[in-house]
Amino acid sequence: MSSGTQYVVAAYAVIWFGILLYVVVAGARTARIARELELLSRILERRDP
Amino acid sequence: MTEALRGRGLAVSGTLAAVLTTLAVIGVFLVAPEDADQGIIQKIFYFHVALASASLVGFLVACIAGLLYLRRREERWDELSATAVGISLLFSGLVVVTGSIWAKASWGTWWVWSDPRLVTYLIVVLLYAAYFVLRSSAEGERRRRHSAIFAVAAFASVPLSFWSVRVANSFVHPVVFTQRGANMPGSMLVWFVVSQAAMLAVFATLVQLQLVQSRAERALQRLKSLVEA
Amino acid sequence: MSLLWARQLRALVLKDLRLELRTRDTLAAMVLFSLLAMVLLQFAFGRVESDLTRFAGGLLWVVLALTAVLGVGRSYVAEREQGVLDGLLAAPVSRLVLIGAKALAIAGYLVAVEVVAVPLVGIFFVRGPFFSELGWIVLVCLLADVAIGLLGSLMAALALFGRARELLLPIIFLPSLVPVVIAASGATHAITGGPNDMAEYRGYCLFLGVYAVTFALVTFATYESVFDD
Repeated sequence: MSSGTQYVVAAYAVIWFGILLYVVVAGARTARIARELELLSRILERRDP
Repeated sequence: MTEALRGRGLAVSGTLAAVLTTLAVIGVFLVAPEDADQGIIQKIFYFHVALASASLVGFLVACIAGLLYLRRREERWDELSATAVGISLLFSGLVVVTGSIWAKASWGTWWVWSDPRLVTYLIVVLLYAAYFVLRSSAEGERRRRHSAIFAVAAFASVPLSFWSVRVANSFVHPVVFTQRGANMPGSMLVWFVVSQAAMLAVFATLVQLQLVQSRAERALQRLKSLVEA
Repeated sequence: MSLLWARQLRALVLKDLRLELRTRDTLAAMVLFSLLAMVLLQFAFGRVESDLTRFAGGLLWVVLALTAVLGVGRSYVAEREQGVLDGLLAAPVSRLVLIGAKALAIAGYLVAVEVVAVPLVGIFFVRGPFFSELGWIVLVCLLADVAIGLLGSLMAALALFGRARELLLPIIFLPSLVPVVIAASGATHAITGGPNDMAEYRGYCLFLGVYAVTFALVTFATYESVFDD
């Protein structure tokens, strides 16, 4: 692989990484929302069985 | 009703983004001709430029959403504004990094001050990072109001920065145009357009993703306060 | 009736300037700071290059930009500390006039600093005609001061309250100031860096004018929302 190609790959890898990182952050956020929703539903179930 | 619409919007732009991105990558690497001067390194530009203009659109959206918030004081405009700035900032960061990689590939150094777009985007990153510093310094209504004003002022700074950098460069170095739009052969131009559309679709998808999450969080908050009551 | 705003503007600007002249603390500090900055820059560059004439334009405006941060940061202090702001906002003065007056006051402080700083830059750094060309430099200063004033009055209002406001102001202010520094130093350099390059000079001065008009427009679009209701 010529050095030029290596740089192109690096650039595209960075873009890929950047967007995936964002997806991971979004995923963590969704996970937190899901956790709290579960907690809430459990509280509510205990309240009105 | 709005929920069904929102869900569909995300699915549409997400699918579009996936299709266009794949198409763009295939086109850029397998179809588009290699540049005569720069060789394969030029291929970085397809996405480098696409990210740059997508982020610009994003900052414009944030500016307009900011103005709409100031006029109507509806929270959803502030939310759109902040989300747009966030994702555009991510894209701008990627512009700077990919530009730096290009600089290393072309000039042997990790940075050049002679490329107006690269330098402008460095300034843009600083500018919009400040947006979030400003946002965290205030709460509630003032946060939204100040953020909206800054989104407008910052967007005005973007073309001013670009022109001042470019004018300054033209007097000092010969202007290094990283690619001449008008002289580009059609076989390259079409893939620039596809990459552009792809990045815009990705932008729209990420924005909607974040907005959906914000809605979920707010509903969660309402639920929490109801349960605690 | 149409001159009411002009009279209000004048009154507010004079109030600020008189307040400053009476206490003189901000002005003196700004002048001293500019001198210190010059000395620091001399030691940063002067060891390598004994003749800093070519850098004088840039030096002047880096010094003035940093000094402006101090001045802008202090521009609403009087109002905030004495609770005068609420009184002013309650008065039948348009907020546009309020911000406009603040912009002029900031420009005024900068002019006062430049009275000392510009000749000193000429003495310390410029070998060659300087005082004969002072008129051109004065014009640059006036244009840049108006631009900085317009930007500063808006940014300072955003950084009025909230946590860590002394740190917040430079962060939101400086990125937008970059084009002003580029243009002002370019215009100054066109005069001080050898034979006068009037084409460059005009280009940069035009840019400063465009910048000032742009931020006047931004202020006009957002002034109603800048202060809390």
